[in-house]
This record gives sequence, C-alpha cells and structure tokens, in this order.
Amino acid sequence: MIVAERKPLAEILANVQNVNKLLVVGCNTCVAVCLAGGEKEVAVLSSALRIGLRDTNPNIQITQRSIERQCEEEFNAELADDIAAHDVVLSMACGVGVQTLAEQFPTAIVYPALNTTFMGRPEERGVWSERCMGCGNCVLDKFGGVCPVTRCSKSLLNGPCGGSENGKCEVDPKNIDCAWQLIYDRMARIGQLDRLLEIEPAKDWSTSRHGGPRKIVRKDMVL
Amino acid sequence: MNDHRIVLMGCAQSAGAAIQELQDRGQALPDNVEWVRMPCGSSLDELHILRAFESGADRVMVLACYDGACRSVNGNRWAEKRVEAARAILEEVGIAGWRLAFQQVAPTMAADIWQWIADFQALQPPQDATPDAAQGAESEA
Repeated sequence: MIVAERKPLAEILANVQNVNKLLVVGCNTCVAVCLAGGEKEVAVLSSALRIGLRDTNPNIQITQRSIERQCEEEFNAELADDIAAHDVVLSMACGVGVQTLAEQFPTAIVYPALNTTFMGRPEERGVWSERCMGCGNCVLDKFGGVCPVTRCSKSLLNGPCGGSENGKCEVDPKNIDCAWQLIYDRMARIGQLDRLLEIEPAKDWSTSRHGGPRKIVRKDMVL
Repeated sequence: MNDHRIVLMGCAQSAGAAIQELQDRGQALPDNVEWVRMPCGSSLDELHILRAFESGADRVMVLACYDGACRSVNGNRWAEKRVEAARAILEEVGIAGWRLAFQQVAPTMAADIWQWIADFQALQPPQDATPDAAQGAESEA
C-alpha cells in the first residue's frame, strides 16, 4: 500500500491561514491503514487546525469528509457539492488522490496535508517499511522475493557490498537490514543459492521513472 | 488566582473509583473541573484531548492505572502514548505541553487527586517556556 505521514502543522496552517471555508477530505484506503489520512485523522487534523487558528482566523468553518478512495473519480463525485461550497480543499490522501481531486475539479484549490512517502507494508503496529519502488520490471523471482532494488540502499543487483556487517547495512546499521543478507538467507532456505552465482546484467531503468511519467493502457479494456 | 478550566479524564477503574470516593465523602470537584470517565485508559484518544482544548479547557489531566494494575493489561500505557501524541500536536499549534498532564493513580488515592488538581491549578509556565496561544486567554480569565 501507499504509506504517508502528516505534514508539519505549521506548513498546513500557513496554507489555510486566510481561508473562510475549509473542506478537509480523508481517504479511507491506504492512508487510513497507515493512520495518516483516514476518517479519524481528518477529525484530529480539523480539531488541531481549529485550535491553531483560533487567534488568527477564529471564524474559519471546517467541514470534515472522508471517502473510500480519492484516486478514483467515481468516489470523488460525491464531493462535488461540498467542494463547490468551500474555498479550499485540504486533502489527506496520497499525492495521487490530491492530483485526482485537482484534475477532476479544475477550479478547486486543493492542498495536500500529507507527505506521500513510499509503497510498503506494516511490519508491526505503528511501523511501516518500504518494499517496492515501482521500477516497472520486477526481479523478485530472481532474489527469493526480496527486492534488491528497493531494500538495498545502493539498489545493487549483484551484492552484497562491503558495507554489509552482521546482516545490517552501513547506511543505518540500527534500522536497515542488508537486503543481500536477506536474499542470501532466503535463497538458502528455498534451495536456490546456485541462482546467485549468475551475474545479473545492469538494470534497464527505461521502465522506471527515467522515461518520464508512466502510463499503462489496456487496449482490451478501452472502447 | 484565576480558576483555570481543567478537564480530568481517565480510567473508571482507578481514577473513577477514587473520584467516587471523594464524592461519597461530600467533596465535590471544584466547579472549574470537569471529570470525563472512561471505561479504560485505552479508550482515550488524542481527539478527546484536542476536543477538550478546542472547547475551552485551559489544562487537561489524564489519569490512568499504575503499571501492572490495568485490568486490560496495557490500557494505562496506551493512555500515556495518546497523551504524548496529543501533546506533540498541541505544541505544533502553539499550546504549551505543560498544559497537558498524565498521572498514574490507584482507586485508593482520592486525597492525592484532590491535591493534584490544586497543584495543577496553581501550576505556572516553566521559566523558559515561550508564551503560548492559550496563555493570553488564561490571563484574561
């Protein structure tokens, strides 16, 4: 899922300082699961803004909404009346949701309340970590289901480097596992260590961001 | 001294029992103190604390069980976490962190609660504290 965290309140407050009617919109999918932009976070942020603005903008009207997915226009359609009735929309979705609202409602002023951070998974309660950077050419089949592109700090396809020590990465030995230690252990466990003897050629990054914004078109789904 | 509006919120099993004892003895809480009873410290959410300040509270004290005494095992620890989260948000919007207190309590500590309220009422901003948004409102009270 997409993992995000709330922006510093000072940054959000600066954007809404002179707003009369503010619509705070949450997204009940990814960012709700990572406790950044769901219904509850909308309530917390709205309350914090009312407290933070009570001296400088005490008459601000803040409306709270939350919808299933801001990245799909069908779900956003129900916001049309609310958006028309407010000066500014503060989106608590990921960057995709914010942009979808801005595209769908061309005259609406839409500000982000979150910093979209990565695609990852919850490791334990309150802890999320990155697992995929969307390189467009998945190599998980070759590395036992551990992604060296994302989880190796250097994205090495032929690792490990000299910075691997006791299973940890030199970039942050306390918090980052050496992806290549994880790959080696996993390949040993599934009996595929011999595959690591193959030299992996330099990665073709044309499927990643290096070719500009990407788009997928399924012609069988388009009339 | 101004009567600051104080909201007490906390666990029914410990703080609630102690406050009930105070009331049974005829010691009603001061008029400027509002008691919010929760089934467990784990029921507390930072939104409850924010809403208290939003509604005009000058100070909020959260009362939860001592470690090992929570009937839900870790309810008191979760309450403290929520207090920390709320304090961080409050400080971001200009409300000084000392206005939010967390205190562990047992059902037998009715007299202590009475004293804590008095101490919290009299609490002054730390010398090095920067003036916060609520300070002006308090001095006008």
